[in-house]
Amino acid sequence: MTLQSILQVLVSGLQVGCIYALMALSFYVIQSATGILNFAQGEWAMISAVLGVVFLPFVPYPIAIAAAIAGATSLAILSERLFIRRLESRNASLVTIILSLLGIMIVARYGTALLFGQEEYPLPGPARSEIIEIGGELYLLPQTLVIYAATVAVFAAVELHMRRTKLGRSLRVAAIDPIGAQLIGVDLNRVRAYAFGLGGLIAAVAGWLYAPLYAAGYMIGVVPGVKGFIVMVIGGMASPLGSLLGGITLGLIEVAAARYFSSLYSEALAFVVLMGVLFVRPEGLIAAGTRS
Amino acid sequence: MHRLLSPNLRWLRWTAGALLLALFPVFVREPYYITLAVNLAITLILTLSLNFVVGTSGQWSFAHAAFFGMGAYVPGVLASRFGLDGWLGLPLSVALTSVLATVVGLPIVRLRGYYLAVCTLALGFLAEIIVRQAVDLTGGGYGIQQIPPLFIAGYRLHGGSYYLLAVAALLASSLLLDNLKGSTLGHAIVASRDNPIAAASCGINVGRVKLTAFVISAALAALAGWVHTFYYLALNPSLLASDLTFLWYFMVFIGGLGSVPGVVIGTALLSVAPEFLGMATHNQVLAFGLLMLGVALFAPRGIGGALTGLLQTGRLLAAERSAK
Repeated sequence: MTLQSILQVLVSGLQVGCIYALMALSFYVIQSATGILNFAQGEWAMISAVLGVVFLPFVPYPIAIAAAIAGATSLAILSERLFIRRLESRNASLVTIILSLLGIMIVARYGTALLFGQEEYPLPGPARSEIIEIGGELYLLPQTLVIYAATVAVFAAVELHMRRTKLGRSLRVAAIDPIGAQLIGVDLNRVRAYAFGLGGLIAAVAGWLYAPLYAAGYMIGVVPGVKGFIVMVIGGMASPLGSLLGGITLGLIEVAAARYFSSLYSEALAFVVLMGVLFVRPEGLIAAGTRS
Repeated sequence: MHRLLSPNLRWLRWTAGALLLALFPVFVREPYYITLAVNLAITLILTLSLNFVVGTSGQWSFAHAAFFGMGAYVPGVLASRFGLDGWLGLPLSVALTSVLATVVGLPIVRLRGYYLAVCTLALGFLAEIIVRQAVDLTGGGYGIQQIPPLFIAGYRLHGGSYYLLAVAALLASSLLLDNLKGSTLGHAIVASRDNPIAAASCGINVGRVKLTAFVISAALAALAGWVHTFYYLALNPSLLASDLTFLWYFMVFIGGLGSVPGVVIGTALLSVAPEFLGMATHNQVLAFGLLMLGVALFAPRGIGGALTGLLQTGRLLAAERSAK
């Protein structure tokens, strides 16, 4: 366990953790405002990367990014408009809603497989792909630095948005007291659509950040999606900070476990931690804000 | 009058049903249809037990494929690695799965809402990871082939004779669930679902009742797993994939949560139709997902609900006619 290997674990652990944190944030903005745990978040990340591969041959890189992210975000909003809004207005049972959310997830995943095939394609990142060498000891990809910077930017933007803008504040009000929010003129339907859009947008950005490190294909949303909701449940609903810290902690622990123990431990770890947390605190580590 | 007749009629109905199902291989000998029928029997055990834990007991578990997989792997591994007789594997598989379900169920039944879903989903993923990684025991991603078959008095069960075993397992499961419905435990399960506080004040231990329902459904999933193992004589980790659990849920929901005839019709349609349409697994999952969303929007009570609606209209019409 040399200093070099520890630094390398820190670099990649932080990179994995940033992606988990972003995915957790995308779950967080929806769950805190609407109480809905939208299982399909990982699929919006996947769709943004796959659309990127589709658009890239035709348009310049920045436009391809913007179009792919916009496409995935629109699908997220559409899923709320078409299904969740109608079910909520009918006061459908929780089983119905959960199964519909899973249905949306499945349709997004296998629909992509049907339309774009089951192959995986490389997706170039916004930065160059030569490895950066620091002091002959430490290696990192430019994409890693992009991920760090983008994570900080997204978290700062969401935090500012929730505090400073009217729409952002309406999200927070709906989270604290849905009935009171309606009394002061907040339209809960609009809040829900907006939360699904914002969550979809964050997931779509995360998809563009991690896909260049692996590949783009219909299955790449599964793991980030699952890890994202685990981190959100562990990190709690008190503030987005829980998602950030939870994501980075899980990323670091996983990479360290894979490096020093075995990949089995690393893969299983998140699930064991999640079940442990739920067994001790059935409502999540930090109880769901003031919304009961 | 109805009450006096019903017990005898009930046995008559069950025996007639059993005979009818048992005659299937006499008329149909093609292995393809036998396999289809065995699959349907296995899937019916799974969806009926899901319908019980979700519909009757009001809990939802996304770990059903994990219990099914454990029920399949325990006897399969014991038979192929340690030469244990497949028949002995049945009680072992059901007992071990019930123990596991009790241990994880103890904390799980306290959870509500999304946390219950998330926790059981995590359990399902964890089970699949463990089976994929424990290569020495489970064969990892390649699984296990050439598991020794079941014998009865020297006769190897396969094809039509194995179908009879699958039907026997299905009938035993249905009989168990049907008997539960009228029993004290069955009433306690429904009471704990509808009003836990009132149930507790009647002296029902709500936690234990919910746990019992959870364990019963897990044990039935294990039975289905055992039937699966000794028909295919092979195992692979995709048996534990959570996609399977979603498929069974979609069958139950499209059939009509809580309605046994609906669930039976839904399961039969959804497991046989893709075979005849020659759909690839991926497209099958996709089609089920779309159907599920359609049902949630337009027919929230599923096929069963639609049937009940039709029956009621029919009765009303008949009553109207006789009144005239």
